[in-house]
Parts: sequence; C-alpha cells; structure tokens
Amino acid sequence: MRVLADSRVPLCAGRWRLGFLVFLFLVFCVAPQVVAQQIDYSRQAEVAPDEETIGEGYVTPEVQHPRSRSARRQLFDVALLALALALAAWLALKKRSRVGLVWLTVGCLAYFGFFREGCICPIGSIQNVTLALFDQAYAVPYFVIAIFILPLIAALFWGRVFCSGVCALGAIQELFCLKPLRVPPRIDRALGWLKWIYLAVAIYYAVLPAVDRDFVICRYDPFVGLFRFTGQAWLLILGAAFLVAGVFIGRPYCRWLCPYGALLSVCSRYAWRSFSITPDRELDCGLCADACPYGAIEERRAVRTSCFACGRCYRSCPVHRVEDSGGAAPNPNAGLPSVDRVAR
Amino acid sequence: MSGKYSRREILGHAARGTVLLGLGGTAAVLATKAHKTYAWVIDAEKCVNSKLGVLGVDVCELCASECVITMSAVRAVNEFSQCGRCYICPAYYKITSAVGPDGLPSEKVCPTDAIQRKAIGWIDPDDPANNFYDYTIDERLCNGCGRCVMECKEPAGLSSIRLEVRHNVCLDCNRCSIAQVCPEEAYDRREPVTT
Repeated sequence: MRVLADSRVPLCAGRWRLGFLVFLFLVFCVAPQVVAQQIDYSRQAEVAPDEETIGEGYVTPEVQHPRSRSARRQLFDVALLALALALAAWLALKKRSRVGLVWLTVGCLAYFGFFREGCICPIGSIQNVTLALFDQAYAVPYFVIAIFILPLIAALFWGRVFCSGVCALGAIQELFCLKPLRVPPRIDRALGWLKWIYLAVAIYYAVLPAVDRDFVICRYDPFVGLFRFTGQAWLLILGAAFLVAGVFIGRPYCRWLCPYGALLSVCSRYAWRSFSITPDRELDCGLCADACPYGAIEERRAVRTSCFACGRCYRSCPVHRVEDSGGAAPNPNAGLPSVDRVAR
Repeated sequence: MSGKYSRREILGHAARGTVLLGLGGTAAVLATKAHKTYAWVIDAEKCVNSKLGVLGVDVCELCASECVITMSAVRAVNEFSQCGRCYICPAYYKITSAVGPDGLPSEKVCPTDAIQRKAIGWIDPDDPANNFYDYTIDERLCNGCGRCVMECKEPAGLSSIRLEVRHNVCLDCNRCSIAQVCPEEAYDRREPVTT
C-alpha cells in the first residue's frame, strides 16, 4: 500500500506541474486583454461648442452636401440615343444594310446594356411618366422625358427603329435569335395582346399611392440582371430562359410582353417612311417572308407595327446579295406601279 | 382623287399630327415641373443607426451592402455645427479598444479610414485634451456603413453624424434596393435638401 502511495506521488506531482504550466500559459494569453486598459470614456461636451468657445478665428466648416446631378452625362446619353435612332433609321431604310444594323445592335448593347446597366430605359420610363402625370408631388427630370419621347417620335417617322438594335433588351435578344422557327400567325396575334395587358398593369401599379406603389416593369425585368451580373436567382434564370427560347422563337419579350412595344406599335402604324420591301428595289419573290423571324412580312410587304427593322429580309434578298457583291441586278418590276405599304 | 395629296396621305398626316400633338402635350405637361429633382432621401430620424434611444442594437450596414452601385451612393456626413469636436471622438476611435502609448485608443471605428481628424488651432502640448478637433469624412473613402453614425449617437456622442444619399451618384432606381430592406423604412423619394 505504502509502495503504491509512494509510486502515486510522482504521478500526482507531474499532473499538478502540468496544470500549473497550463494555467500560467492561459494567464499569459488572456492577461494582455484584461490588463490592457480601455480608456475611461465620458462625453467631453454636452453641447456642441460654438465658434467663440473654440476661438482663434475658427469658422464652422460647411457641411458636405452632394453636388447636383451631372447634366453632362444625362445630355450625353440623350444625344447618344438620338444618334443611335437616326443611325438605325438610316441603316434600315436608306442603306438597307443588315451588317450595319448588327454592329449597331452590338454597340448599343455594350453601352446602354452593360455599361449603363440597362437603366434608365424607355420601357421603365412609362411608369415614371405616368406617375408624373397623375401625381402632383412627383416629377421626372428633362432627360427622362427625352428618353421616353425620342423613340416614339422616331417611330412616328421611321417605324420601330428603336427596336431595331437601340433598345438594350431587344439587342441582346436579337443577337440570340439564331435558328428562328415560324410562329403561326393566330398564336402570334393572340400573344400580342399580352403586352397591352402588361402595359395596363404597369400603369395601374405605378399610380397607386406610395405605400402600394410597385414599379413592376423594373421589378420583373428579366434582362437587367444579366446586364448587372447580379439579381434575384429566379429572375436571372427567367432571363436566361428567355434568351434560350429566343434562339428558336425570335425575341419573345419584344413581340409579346414589352409594354413600350405596345406604344411603339401605335406610333409606327402612322409612320411617315417606314421599313419597306418594294418591288422597285427588291424582287417581289417572297423569299424574305421566310427569312423574317418575327412574322412581320405579309403578302411580301413589311408590317409596320411589328417589323423590328432587323434587316434579315434584305440579307436574304437575291437583289441585295448581288448588289452587295458588286453587281447590278436587272429589275423585272421596273415600270410597274409600286405599292410599298400593307393597307393596315 | 384630284389635288396634291391623296386621301390616304391626308389621313396619314392627320394621324401622325394627332399622335405628335399628344406626345408634345405630354412632354409639355411634364416639362413644367421637370426642374425639380427627385431622389431617394434617408430620414435621419428613422434610420436605426441614428435613432436615439436604440442602444444595444448591432450597427445596420445595409446602406453599404445593398446599393446596386459598387461603392454605395450613401455617405456619412458630419453636421459640424452639432459636432462636439472632442479630443476622443467615439465615432473616430473605438473606445472599447486598448489604450495606445499616446493615451488614445489604438483602434479606429471607420473600416475605410475615411474620417480625418484635424486639430483646430494651436495645441497646448501639456494639455492636448482641452483642444478642439475637426472630424471630416472623406467622401471618396466613405462607403456608408454607418458605424460612425451609430457610435456618435447619444449618450456617447452628440448624434451629429448621419447617413445621406449622394443624389449625384445615386441612380435613382425605381426600386431602390436599399429602400426595400431598410428595417426602419427610412427611405423616401422626395426633393433632397441641398442647402
């Protein structure tokens, strides 16, 4: 027993020594925090000192307030929009160049889409303009009025050139329209009513009182998340789905959902000079009708209200292919009276 | 039809003119009040970081993290006329940190080091604590996190710092991403105070 007690003593002593060393180590670690003092803080002044108290000719500095909004950048954006619309009109109506329109599409997507991140866009501006008309307490600045009005005025003169490649949302869908299938006209027409419903819903929600107000066009914009590389997951997936669907069914959002497109279709209906397929400059063979992904050619003539001025019909036209490769095609329709507008 | 224009052309011109008139009228109505600026504005009395009496709440940094712009459009601003200009500013120094060799706390509150501390006038070397110091927030560095706003609140400070939306930077989104998540619904769209 005693031997056991004796033999236990060294073991106990070792355990105690170890424990003491551990304790010392912990104290060494914790002590700096505990021992290092915080200042004994108490508020030095109960009231802000005035200039006389501070003395020495001290003047209270001006509180930093933000500068006013840069008018230059807004003006630049409006000017660029006007320029892009004019360029689209020239490329589509005068030059009849699909290549030029594609480059314009890419450029506008890069600037208005990815650089400006899709905001402010004329589609969303419908809500702000409506609100400003209905609500005394709200106003839109000049450049928003310009962004809302310019594509509509362009449509009144040259048709839907805004859709042609200037609209960032349209541009990204346009570049994805690679293997378009033909949508039966009745379905196309039926679906076309959706954009009027969306327009009505957007206006309704925009003019509600502030607590209920909801800018639905902005909230449910499927493409702005792609421009910003961030957003709600379901909306990003929806945007991607639109693009994937758009590979086969050309520009679904533009044709059937865009509320601004509803306004543009009204304005382009009375366009002064719009996108046209004529027997003088083209062939009247009807090949273009197959080339149009948006069903905007009927009876060999462009339908102004739904033509996006993309130029694919020109690319498929035998006359233009000959012209573009440097030759001059004989025109079998020369001398015949020309009707260049569908009566609608 | 005789005459210069066909009936169809006249109707076309009439329709175009009508729509143009409508658009022009809309633009004119809107232009009468287009000189006003509307922007998102933070109500400092509602902001949780500056609300008096709300102690023990973690600092709300949503203004810094939620803005769609990389560097948030929100900035902290010091209302100089209400600032105590203290030797140890609780919004500049972290008063719970350890004391450094100079007798001042060793850590600062601002994560981007945007607050600048400058002594006013001549400093008495024997009694620096009885001097006044100006605290200015550098806009280029401030990210609107709101920590200084919280620390300056009563009773530690005089609540002279508040968060403000820089409406020249702010995109004025229709659906402000910060406004939607603000716990106190302190965001409102109205004419900002610029003076």
